[in-house]
Amino acid sequence: MRQIAIYGKGGIGKSTTTQNTVSALAEMGKKVMIVGCDPKADSTRLILNAKAQATVMDLAREKGTVEDLELEDVLLTGYADIRCAESGGPEPGVGCAGRGVITAINFLEENGAYTPDLDYVFYDVLGDVVCGGFAMPIRENKAQEIYIVTSGEMMAMYAANNIAKGILKYATSGKVRLAGLICNSRKTDKEYELIDELAKRLGTQMIHFIPRDNQVQRAELRRQTVIEYSADHPQADEYRALAKKIDENKNLVIPTPLTVDELEELLLAYGILEDEETAAAKLA
Amino acid sequence: MSIESACCNNSCDNNTISEWIKSDEYKEKNFSREALTINPAKACQPLGAMLCALGIEGCLPFVHGSQGCAAYFRNNLSRHLREPVPTVSDSMTEDAAVFGGQANMIDGLKNAHALYHPAMMAVFTTCMAEVIGDDLKAFITNARSQGAIPEDFPIAFAHTPSFVGSHITGWDNMFKGLLQSLADPRHGKWTNGRLYIVPGFDAYPANLREYRRLVNAMGIPVTILPDASEPMDAPHTGEYELYPGGTPMSELADALNASGFIFMQKYSTLNSFKFVKNVQKINTEVVTMPIGIKNTDNFLMALTEMTGKAIPAELERERGRAVDAATDAHQYIHGRRFALFGDPDLLLGVTGFLLEMGGIPVHIVCTNGNAKFQKEMQALLATSPFGTEGKVYIGKDLWHLHSLLMTEPVDMLIGDSHGKYLAKDAGIPLARVGFPLTDRVNLHRSPIVGYQGAINLISLIANTFIEELDRTCPDERFELLR
Amino acid sequence: MWPVSEQPKVSREMVDDVLSAYPEKAKKMRAKHIVVKDEGCTTCAIKSNSKSIPGVMTARGCAYAGSKGVVFGPVKDMIHISHGPVGCGYYSWSTRRNLATGERGVDNFVPFQFTSDFTENDIVYGGDKKLETLIREIKELFPKVKGISIQSECPVGLIGDDIESVARKMSKEFDMPVVPVRCEGFRGISQSLGHHIANDAIRDHMIGKVERKDVGPYDIALIGDYNIGGDAWASKKILEEMGLNVTNIWTGDGTAEMLQTAHQVKMNLIHCYRSMNYICKHLEEEYGIPWMEFNFFGPSKIEESILAIAERFDEKIMKNARAVIAKYKPEMEKVVEQYRPRLEGKKVMLYVGGLRPRHIIGAYEDLGMEVIGTGYEFAHKDDYERTIPEMGNATVIYDDVTAYEFEEFVKRLKPDLIGSGIKEKYVFEKMAVPFRQMHSWDYSGPYHGYDGFPIFARDMDMAINSPTWALSKAPWKKSAKEV
Repeated sequence: MRQIAIYGKGGIGKSTTTQNTVSALAEMGKKVMIVGCDPKADSTRLILNAKAQATVMDLAREKGTVEDLELEDVLLTGYADIRCAESGGPEPGVGCAGRGVITAINFLEENGAYTPDLDYVFYDVLGDVVCGGFAMPIRENKAQEIYIVTSGEMMAMYAANNIAKGILKYATSGKVRLAGLICNSRKTDKEYELIDELAKRLGTQMIHFIPRDNQVQRAELRRQTVIEYSADHPQADEYRALAKKIDENKNLVIPTPLTVDELEELLLAYGILEDEETAAAKLA
Repeated sequence: MSIESACCNNSCDNNTISEWIKSDEYKEKNFSREALTINPAKACQPLGAMLCALGIEGCLPFVHGSQGCAAYFRNNLSRHLREPVPTVSDSMTEDAAVFGGQANMIDGLKNAHALYHPAMMAVFTTCMAEVIGDDLKAFITNARSQGAIPEDFPIAFAHTPSFVGSHITGWDNMFKGLLQSLADPRHGKWTNGRLYIVPGFDAYPANLREYRRLVNAMGIPVTILPDASEPMDAPHTGEYELYPGGTPMSELADALNASGFIFMQKYSTLNSFKFVKNVQKINTEVVTMPIGIKNTDNFLMALTEMTGKAIPAELERERGRAVDAATDAHQYIHGRRFALFGDPDLLLGVTGFLLEMGGIPVHIVCTNGNAKFQKEMQALLATSPFGTEGKVYIGKDLWHLHSLLMTEPVDMLIGDSHGKYLAKDAGIPLARVGFPLTDRVNLHRSPIVGYQGAINLISLIANTFIEELDRTCPDERFELLR
Repeated sequence: MWPVSEQPKVSREMVDDVLSAYPEKAKKMRAKHIVVKDEGCTTCAIKSNSKSIPGVMTARGCAYAGSKGVVFGPVKDMIHISHGPVGCGYYSWSTRRNLATGERGVDNFVPFQFTSDFTENDIVYGGDKKLETLIREIKELFPKVKGISIQSECPVGLIGDDIESVARKMSKEFDMPVVPVRCEGFRGISQSLGHHIANDAIRDHMIGKVERKDVGPYDIALIGDYNIGGDAWASKKILEEMGLNVTNIWTGDGTAEMLQTAHQVKMNLIHCYRSMNYICKHLEEEYGIPWMEFNFFGPSKIEESILAIAERFDEKIMKNARAVIAKYKPEMEKVVEQYRPRLEGKKVMLYVGGLRPRHIIGAYEDLGMEVIGTGYEFAHKDDYERTIPEMGNATVIYDDVTAYEFEEFVKRLKPDLIGSGIKEKYVFEKMAVPFRQMHSWDYSGPYHGYDGFPIFARDMDMAINSPTWALSKAPWKKSAKEV
């Protein structure tokens, strides 16, 4: 069983990328489970063709304690027999969503969700690593392979670098490794080259460049992945390509995160960040 | 009577309220509480983890989190045992809350190792570390790689969030942690020929000794795991021993090669039981805590079943003496009505004992009991005509019990020292059984399990009733014979 | 043992020897917290009020213990919610011996534990709604409650609950003080910050909110007496015999009103300086109420304090003061006469909390005993400045002493009696060193005032001269030199 965590800045398209990729893996005949680790709980809806599934924490709240839950309440099966669970959690600004991730994963483990027939478990994890709870999926005996979803936008790259820092911390004590960057294109300038370079600097690879295509949104409106909605569309093939690369990927590394200065130099070199003179000239 | 009108302008007097608190109306209000807990009969996980860890020889319990918690756990257990309770913490403060507790753990392991020379440490967490999501396994690995402790220094660990379960859950988690961290993998079908007895959360050192004595009497090679009887009751010799004994680490290491496991409590070992029986597939039984004659009979028969060893004549004669004590004293207990509170396993044992004595359990309050416990207890009550009045309350606290005692009076309360306020309000005696016992001496030094424990409980309960009668009866009823 | 002039040096060597067991970094840190008093007091700069080093057995508690356990807990007609998981409230439930009059469950809630008993759901979703509901439930079940305090436990601070807004809303709804206290255990480095936070919370939410009608010229407040084993009653008795009117006690056997009307007294007398100096300073700055420290342990200090207090009032009070001293003198002399011969020259080592490591020295001296080592769990610089002048030469002074250090010091200094806490008690008793718990008075007391001294003397005698110590070694085990 390979366990994979997908991290990335909020809004970068983690959940969409994860679900499409997982669908492609399932198409290849792989048994996959997705564990959504984001209180928004949108990591499984394209697989389940539903608004949102009942989350572990929501049901625990309803029933009083986690002990009273049954596995079948929270582990649903969707497109291509993909198993789906969501940790769930509070609205922004209250409580502790990170703890919800710990609780949910503990529950799934203790109640036998990790069956030996699974080829893959994917964790779709909120944004940067913000507290220990969001690192739960990469603790020992869980995901050892991490992909970071990013784009050529400056903040997405900052986030990717930060996540690499978090991975470094865990990598030194355990077996968790960075497996690659996934560029979910925003059509920014020199995006391919930039992310390719960033990946190299981090000691890893840009495993795939997913072009931007509205077909993804069309499918999402119908709560489907592109794979399910339009299997013949070229965009579906992009996800298939990514899935295949992940399936064959052996390039697992301890990342070498950049300092802020190094990162800014990189952005300057690719013209994403202007140096002070240029910026001042524009203002003048 | 409506208290709202009496008290709307704060003008009602204490008597009015005092009477109202005893009323059915109040009971109804009290039982409709949704959010407030008053005087719960449960502590939090790490306390149980600490007690569990103390039972391995040379083990220093290590609290990862706030130092105040460690102080509380130590105080709490010390007050009950009147013994020193060594435990260190890594004193996480505000910076650790933000940056995580790894630095504290690394320094802490280093200092504790240098200063207290433990043979091993058992790390468990306070809720602070659990909320921020500290990863014990990774931290311990890093501590080793940074040289804070030797690479091969044995450490067991368990995550013990206080906001899940209670002290019995913590005991369970730490026990499982001991096995997972420090027990060697099984050697296939080979066993070491030893029976492992797992006491569960039990703060009576005498109970653990009684288990050993009974199993020895059967001629069965036994390991009590963990055996905190020495740390809980170390002899005075004029020298202080930081590590006065416990299960040898070699026997912990060899645990998964046991010929069998018997768990003496069910609800304080739920996860460990599953781990031993279902994951490790070891011959494993769980018995009701052997309180009273029948529960002890069942324990001994379980031993026979598991090992093929016959129950020896000496234990049969011991049983006979206990039964003799029961029949001698039955008149002091038969038909008397009881309220009980405490941990689920203790309650199952004590209730079984009361039923066989003809006592009537009326209110059974288990703050840390779950629905399965409730069912099991109801089934037990249904086995006896003396059980028909018994009602089981799970998740309720001692203020709920207060209302029960006021509206449906009983003759005696059985529980830990916290019950003394209830007993006083209800004007009934309290038989002190359970944890903690902080206002009487030496109770934990006599067993309440086994046939000897049955005699002790009979004496405690019967004599308390008789004492009460002597103390309160009019002079013309004050007699030499009772 | 040693020539007098040699003693301090010898003790320092002893300290260094004990500390040599630590790893380098820890040794350096600990060395600053232990001093040996010498004549010029050249070594008296002791470091205090800093983080305990991880991995040792410190006796220290946390901010919650300082706020709920110490300051708020004894306020009997308020309900103090241990807000968070069940443990903190459980461990501090009726374990501090703050005696209080009143009817349990009606207007006295001291022996209760009220908690929001957080579960996983409360952590993940936040506990504010639960808090609101449970405050309503409190008001319904305990109609005479005069106020509520919300004692935050660690998770409440970590998940960012807004207890202040719940408190504001509930306070308005029920027209009574609902006091949010941010005393999460991870704040600060000991109980001490909890005292301060609690003082500030009382300042912000209670003081000045109620006006008492009958105000007199001799109205005083007794501050920092928690009525352990009835201490405050013993202190109050003396002050009232002096003609003073103790209207407010903080907080032993205290009430919400006593906190709310704190601004109306003429003087604040403070016993435990550490835990309540903050409020005295505030009342002085804000309301011009003078405050003074005093010490009611043992007849010498009591006498000194009675006169110093009377000094601050008029001739009438002074006359009463002299009469009080004269009245109790014979009784106190009898106590000394009875116990001093058995206790003379006995050496004591102390390690306690806020004031006793210095305050109680006089009581021992009254019995002819000598304090050869003392230290505080959570003192600050100003406490040590008040302590060191009281000590004799070569006294070892240890701040936040670890279990290891304390044991080693005792093995080397061989005191006849140790006064410390529950965590230390059984360690030393196993070593056959007589011991008294000096937080809880070992379930005895009071030790304050004239009522307390005879009990104190009896207890110390009982500890030191118990025949049980003679049973320590089995007769067949006695070594040659002991026989």
